[in-house]
Amino acid sequence: MKDLVRLRTSVKESVELALNQQIQMEMVSSSKYLAMAGWCDRNGFDYSAGFFYKQSEEERSHAMKIFHYLSDQGGTAHSPEVPAVEQEFDSLRAVFEGALEQEIAVTDSINRIIVICRRENDFATDELMKWFVKEQMEEEYIARRCLDLFDQIPADQIFELDKQLASVTYDGAPFGE
Amino acid sequence: MIVSARTTSSAHAVEIFRTERGAVYQCDATQRLILDFWDTHTALSTRDFAQFRRMVNTIDVQQMALSTGSAYDVEILAPPRSERCYVLTLCEIIHLRELLNGSQLMLDLNSMLRECGCSLTSIA
Repeated sequence: MKDLVRLRTSVKESVELALNQQIQMEMVSSSKYLAMAGWCDRNGFDYSAGFFYKQSEEERSHAMKIFHYLSDQGGTAHSPEVPAVEQEFDSLRAVFEGALEQEIAVTDSINRIIVICRRENDFATDELMKWFVKEQMEEEYIARRCLDLFDQIPADQIFELDKQLASVTYDGAPFGE
Repeated sequence: MIVSARTTSSAHAVEIFRTERGAVYQCDATQRLILDFWDTHTALSTRDFAQFRRMVNTIDVQQMALSTGSAYDVEILAPPRSERCYVLTLCEIIHLRELLNGSQLMLDLNSMLRECGCSLTSIA
C-alpha cells in the first residue's frame, strides 16, 4: 500500500498547522508595524516612521518565506486572516515597547515550531526555522536597543531620539555571518 | 467500529478504515482516497481529502447543538474539486468526523510503518 500522504508532501500535518499559524503571526506583525509607522508619520516622527515601514515589509517577507516553503514542499499554505490592530498609541516609547513585545511573541512561536519539527523528525523545516532564530536575535536586539535610547537621550531632544532610533542596527553576528 | 486493511473487490483499492456509517478506501493506481459515506462514493486526492477533513473538523458543532434557528439544523459541505455536495445533520457530521479522522490516523500509521520499512497491508 502506497504512502499517499508522504508522496504528496514531506511536511507532517502538525508542522503544516504550526507553519500556517506562523504565517498569520508574521502578517499580523506586519500589520501592527504598519499601524505604528502610520502613527509615527502622523505625529512627526519621520525617522521612526521609516523604520516601522521597513519592519512591516520585512515581516511580510518572513510570512512569504514560510508560505513559499510550505507550498514548495507540497503542503497547503493558507492566506491568513488578519484581525484589526491597534492604531493609536500613548507615546513613541509605547510604540517601541509594543514592538519589543511583538518580537518576543514571534521568537517564542518560532521556538515552539522547532520543538514540533524535532518531535516529527522534520529536519528540513527545522533548518528553515534556524534562519528565523537568527533573525529573531537581531529583531529583539534592535527593539531592546531602541528602548535603551529612551533612557539615554533626554526627553527634550525628541528629534535626535527619533533620528537615533531609526539608525539602530545589529552587527553582533555571533554566528560569523 | 472495525479497523482493517483488507483488499476490496477492486484490485487496487484497499479499505483503510470503516465505521458503521461508511468506509474510506485507498486506490494506489489512481492515488485517490475513496470516501464511501451514506451510499455515496467520492474520490479525492490526498490534498483534497486533507482539506475536506479540515472543513468537517472546523464546523462549530456546539453552536449547531445549542442554536434553535433552523439555519443551524444542517451544514452544507462541498468537497474540493468534486461535484458532490453533502447536506449533513449534526449526527451525520459527528459520524463523518469519526470516519475521516480514523482514516487519517491509519494514513499516518502507514507513514510510520513505511519509515520502519513495512506497510499496513503487509501486517494485515
